[in-house]
Amino acid sequence: MSTSLAPWIILFAPLVAATLILFFGRYSKPLSAGLAIAAAALGAYLSWTLFLSHEPIEAAKFTWLSLPNFTVEIGVTIDQLSKVMLIVVTNIATLVFIYSIGYMDHEEGYWRYFGGLALFLFSMLGIVLADNLVMMFIFWELVGVSSYILIGHYYSKDSAADACKQAFLVNRIGDFGFMLGILFVWLATGSIVFSEIFAKIPGAQFAGPATLTIGAILLFCGTIGKSAQLPLHVWLPNSMEGPTPVSSLLHAATMVAAGVYMLARIFPLLLTVDIARDVIAWVGGITCVVAALMATQQNDIKRILAYSTISQLGYMVLGAGVAPTADVPMFHLFTHAFFKCLLFLCSGSVILGMHHEQDIWKMGALKNKMPITLLCTLAGLLALAGCPFFSGYFSKDLIIAWAVEEQPILGWLSVFAAGLTSFYMFRLFFVVFFGKPKSDHAKHAHESPAVMVIPLLLLSIPAVIGGYGFIEHPFFPHIEHPHHVPEILHIALLAMFIGGLVLGFLLYFKADKDPLNIPFFANRFYIDDLYAWIVKTFQDGLAWVSAWADRWIVDLILARGTALAAVVFGHVLRCLQIGNIQAYAFFFGAGVVGLLYFLIVR
Amino acid sequence: MIVPYALEISVVCVGIFLLMVDAFLKTDKTTIAWTGVVVLLAIFGLTFALGPMPKGVIPEAFYVLDPTALFFKRFLLLATVLTLILSIDYSPVYQKFVPAAVPQAGLGEFFTLPVFACAGMMFMVSANDFIMIFVALELVTITFYVLVASMRKNQGSLEAGVKYLILGALSTGFLVYGITWLYGITGYTSLDGIQSVLPRVPEQYQPSVLFGLGLVLVALGFKVAAVPFQFWVPDVYQGAPTPVTAYLSVASKAAGFVVLLRVLEPFVTTPTFQVKVFGILTILAAVTLILGNLAAMSQQNLKRLLAYSSIAHAGYLLVAVASLSAPGAKVAIGFYLGGYLLMTFLAFLVLLNVAKVSGGDDIRDFNGLGKRSPVLALALLISMLSLAGLPFTIGFLGKFFIFEAALASGQYVLVVLGAITVACGFYYYLKVVMAMYWQPPAPSATNIQVSPFGQFLIALLVLAIIIFGIFPQPILGALTHL
Repeated sequence: MSTSLAPWIILFAPLVAATLILFFGRYSKPLSAGLAIAAAALGAYLSWTLFLSHEPIEAAKFTWLSLPNFTVEIGVTIDQLSKVMLIVVTNIATLVFIYSIGYMDHEEGYWRYFGGLALFLFSMLGIVLADNLVMMFIFWELVGVSSYILIGHYYSKDSAADACKQAFLVNRIGDFGFMLGILFVWLATGSIVFSEIFAKIPGAQFAGPATLTIGAILLFCGTIGKSAQLPLHVWLPNSMEGPTPVSSLLHAATMVAAGVYMLARIFPLLLTVDIARDVIAWVGGITCVVAALMATQQNDIKRILAYSTISQLGYMVLGAGVAPTADVPMFHLFTHAFFKCLLFLCSGSVILGMHHEQDIWKMGALKNKMPITLLCTLAGLLALAGCPFFSGYFSKDLIIAWAVEEQPILGWLSVFAAGLTSFYMFRLFFVVFFGKPKSDHAKHAHESPAVMVIPLLLLSIPAVIGGYGFIEHPFFPHIEHPHHVPEILHIALLAMFIGGLVLGFLLYFKADKDPLNIPFFANRFYIDDLYAWIVKTFQDGLAWVSAWADRWIVDLILARGTALAAVVFGHVLRCLQIGNIQAYAFFFGAGVVGLLYFLIVR
Repeated sequence: MIVPYALEISVVCVGIFLLMVDAFLKTDKTTIAWTGVVVLLAIFGLTFALGPMPKGVIPEAFYVLDPTALFFKRFLLLATVLTLILSIDYSPVYQKFVPAAVPQAGLGEFFTLPVFACAGMMFMVSANDFIMIFVALELVTITFYVLVASMRKNQGSLEAGVKYLILGALSTGFLVYGITWLYGITGYTSLDGIQSVLPRVPEQYQPSVLFGLGLVLVALGFKVAAVPFQFWVPDVYQGAPTPVTAYLSVASKAAGFVVLLRVLEPFVTTPTFQVKVFGILTILAAVTLILGNLAAMSQQNLKRLLAYSSIAHAGYLLVAVASLSAPGAKVAIGFYLGGYLLMTFLAFLVLLNVAKVSGGDDIRDFNGLGKRSPVLALALLISMLSLAGLPFTIGFLGKFFIFEAALASGQYVLVVLGAITVACGFYYYLKVVMAMYWQPPAPSATNIQVSPFGQFLIALLVLAIIIFGIFPQPILGALTHL
């Protein structure tokens, strides 16, 4: 197969699947699942082909529209960055789709669910392959739409309906910044195509470096929304209302990482704007600590993982702010995608085994009943917590090392966050799998079916080995390691991991209820309540004003006024259109005279 | 070697053949229409074998075959095919209004005449000489007089025919008179000849040239339904048989615009006439935009609404004509008309099917169509949204390209006017949508069944509207490709 068409096939196969599912999915459950999985698997296969072929790939470009004086082309970017991201997205998607067969077996809206997943995959691949900012933005919005559909899968449940609305609206705030950012970058460089923007950067005279800085910060707003950074993080924990495989694929492994991917995509531009990089580093650094603190006091198994995801995304964003190459944050994105996806699927397995109970304080002693899930959770946990020689250890420590070198305050904060990570993960692990069963469901829990367990086992492999050199070098050839890292850092990180483990063991190994009680963390720093207050106060005020304007200005003056004008005008015209042929001939003649007057005399 | 006008010759032959079939065919006359559809589609296929030809290759100076001509020949063939299909659907209604000595009397002519009109219009889009333009135009107009008035027992149809005939004759008079003036001053009837002489016209004769051109513009303005020569449009559109209305509003208008472009070409490229000609075109575009859109707002009958909408669309097209100095203007006109073909035929297809069952084509006959026939309602929805110019439909891109050309040539006033009138457009197109989805159906209203072929055609048109609204390149490519 010609490699120039492969990217287009990867991109459009899920869309075709989604369309077919929309039309025929309702008639057959295996058909809808099969179509989605086939599209994802085809994408995975072609992604590997692309990745393994060493010839430069000239992807086919399509002329979208060509007028004599301007032409718009749509193309795709095939470089190391997008190849790696393609592999992550398509492979994880394939596994999660397969897992979903088991997880969603008894749920309603089976075809709607798989249609949504296929649509999501299409949108996500569009972001990965986009060769210009506008195309990326369009797919960015499509991702938002598919996320909305999937979070709201149980739309008859109020909390799910609210969560999908919140996710959509909060993302809109960030996307608005993204859109303005595209405008600013276009103002500064006169282009929206990545390669052209970068070609203009070295030593170019921009419309003003300030424009570019503002543009970069505004683009980063998109990341803040999509990757759930402070202060727009509130939607991600609530998005856990969606089915667990969705949380795993969208809200842990791929979609939320799109923000980081976008930063990596515009990295050459970021390198030229130091202020924007500082902003990025600080947002990321603070997010990783704050989210980790919040995670320590959550009781819902999926919410713990959600805050953990925010915290890990914070690391990646921090990496984009401090590291000299985009491969550093991308490396963590890569390892995180696998182990966090794994952890979510494990939690899904636990939730299914517990008959949809998500409170960790009602679980306990699952170690004998769900041994494979336990092992897989442990693999993901050790990778996440940064246990030496697991994948997360390599990628996360690299970011922390760069942070310590470039922004020492943030660096040491992120070391502290690493300790918190270890602590909250072992808290989850001990409470769920050890101690006494804390409810009837826990006593009768069972291991999940093979169709779910096999993806878990497959995902455990990259979670364990994903950080070693033989993976790192072919995937991320441009990684650089910092040179002036204090020796104590590595010891400190190890101490943090062990400290978290020991503290978690002591506090939670046999606990029946939480021995710690920190309302400030448990209530998520009261940020959600603050937003609720702001929205309530200002929105009610605004609603009152706009209701007034709607009634008196829009309705009375604009609507009635124009309607009246139209009616009056219509009557005037109706008087002209009398249907009498002599009159028509007269008007015609008058028209001729008028035309000749304007043409010749004037 | 194939003669370049082989296409037209074959279409005329098809027409004659169909007439002869009609004389001998005793059974179902719709066979004639189906034969016409198939043969015309075959000729449509043949156009792809025939590439555009540069001017020197064709010996006859009155005939050109440039990409524009070729594109519009395909356009006209498709429009004729669609008209024939609509006519088949319409034939039960048609028969009610024709004095029937034998069953299905008059149907043969009803199916054959569009083919002759098609040949005439195909000549029109290739005509490069005023004599040729005149002859082709008359072939078309006379055919249309007959078609419009062909429902002889229907008063509306007869009245429409008479109005069209009298006003059409008036405008033809102006055309011929204008041609004689132009010939008198330049000594040429061919546009190439006029082009060569125009820069050398002495100053005292320039008003005479403009006078001649003005009269020609009057006739062409009548053809494309530009204000103030549009008075015939609402009455004739409403009275004519529905397929003829669709044909008139799409094909006849398109051919008129192509002739307008050809006639204007020498004048807008000659500096001495440029300013005045663009000036009058701007005025025509502005009044057509305003009047067409505002008058449409108070209409209660869908056929009449579509008539005014046809005037409004002529306004947008005239905006592009007034922006001919921009390189993209011609392509924009071609693309806009292409879109106009799809969405207008879709609208008339739905209108025809609904009117057949409801017995009327007022907007209130569409009340509750969303429940009575979801397929038809969806089709009309797409058509209305596209006519209004909603993004992701071909109507949006058409307006976008036209405004882009207008901006490039500095016609800012027209762009602002265009934007305002687009808003008016939303008002009256959505009025139809509102009736379909928000109004309860009349108690006597029944559900409407659409034949499988009708559904197929609707799906085809809807898909084309959306696909070309997202990916316009196939049409743009056909317009620019040499």
